[in-house]
Amino acid sequence: MDHHRASSRGLSAVFAPIRTGGLAEEVTRRIEQALETGLLRGGQRLPREVELAAALGVSPVTAREALSILRERGLITTVRGRNGGSFIIDGYLPSTDLALQNLQATTRLQINDLGLHYEAIASACAGIAARRADAADLHRLHQYLRPHEDTLLSWRLVDSEFMLEVGAIARSARLGRELVRMQADLGTLTVLPYTDDVFRESSVGHRNEVAGAIGDGDVLAAQNATRDLIHTMVSWLLRRRARELPMTKG
Amino acid sequence: MTTELSPAVTRIRAQIGGVQSGLADWAVELGRQLAGVRGKVHGSAIDALALPAVEAMLGDAERYITGAGFIAGSGLVAADRSYIAWWQGPDLERVDALANFSTSSMDRYLRAEWFRVPFETGEPHATGPYIDFLCTDEYVMTFTHPVVLQAGGPVAGIVGADISVQSLERMLLGSLTALGPTATLVNKGGRVIVSAADALEPGDLVTEGDFTTSLDIGNHLVLLLDPVT
Repeated sequence: MDHHRASSRGLSAVFAPIRTGGLAEEVTRRIEQALETGLLRGGQRLPREVELAAALGVSPVTAREALSILRERGLITTVRGRNGGSFIIDGYLPSTDLALQNLQATTRLQINDLGLHYEAIASACAGIAARRADAADLHRLHQYLRPHEDTLLSWRLVDSEFMLEVGAIARSARLGRELVRMQADLGTLTVLPYTDDVFRESSVGHRNEVAGAIGDGDVLAAQNATRDLIHTMVSWLLRRRARELPMTKG
Repeated sequence: MTTELSPAVTRIRAQIGGVQSGLADWAVELGRQLAGVRGKVHGSAIDALALPAVEAMLGDAERYITGAGFIAGSGLVAADRSYIAWWQGPDLERVDALANFSTSSMDRYLRAEWFRVPFETGEPHATGPYIDFLCTDEYVMTFTHPVVLQAGGPVAGIVGADISVQSLERMLLGSLTALGPTATLVNKGGRVIVSAADALEPGDLVTEGDFTTSLDIGNHLVLLLDPVT
């Protein structure tokens, strides 16, 4: 069983039915998220407008509008003819350029505050997880210490999946939902630190400590290690924002 | 009268058993219907066959089911592809639909206990309680049952139903309380699902040895009574 093929439970938000609001933009956002998390891959054919519309419960007009937005953004190309259709562009990667733009557009205050919120939720989950973990839980958690492939996408997935797994072990639906929401709020920013080899290895160390403390049933240690894990990421982002850190991988 | 035969135990067995036998019946019916499809089985055919049964399940308030559906294993619709026909809630919201267009959709289900176990063993299974990040984001139990197209044939997919732990509490707490102040329903791993004891939260782990009486509820759940003092 391969746990690290790019697919994520965090995608529930991506594929939940769409009810209200700017529908075409919402469809677009979800397809972008599916790309960012690897559910949809470069070169892959997208369903036809009618199929896409039926699957997501929107009108074909809305689906067409969404596809046209994606085309304008250069994420898909459309080929006419019998074997035609819309295809995800080849070699799609999570966009570090876009993430960097987001980072520069976010104030230091916002980054700090997001970090504090994430720390509060995640460390609460870790504390409860330390009381409730069984052997199967710990086994799953250890699958997410480091990815099997050394790609940016895999590192970022391991980052979010590890924390979702901690949430799953805690077994609080409210805290779990809050974790998913926090990860969505952090969005593409979390891809940036994983361009840095030093950060990659230090994150493995932190995840190891969190997993170890949960395995030991040590509530306080699990909470503290989780704070350290998130704090390291936030510090990296703040330093990168001040342009003190280079990006080594695209 | 022994505890085994008390009306409250019978009630709990009937309620959990009802969910599981309902799924077993549907698995047989759907297997027969799928076997009757001429030529290649398309997603639209699966949708058309599965939806009426799901509608009936979700529409029956007595059954407390929050989500249900069918997931095809690799081979039924296409090699190395799965197909999900799953709906949730009173408005029959379609779940995870874009995954049907993904070339990596198989991975999403292969690692999920509720799919993997019945698919690999050919036996019904109960998963949870767990937080269902894939569909409802709720704390649920998922009951699943393998579907075969002919008796003794390979497993073609699974049918399943989600019941929230909250619903299980509404369904069972009265019966548990009637059995004693610490009567507790757990899964085979000792994970609390519903307990009459205030101190035991759903999700906590208990040791079976801490109770003097342990009764099987179906094949997957255990009722613990009378703590060792």
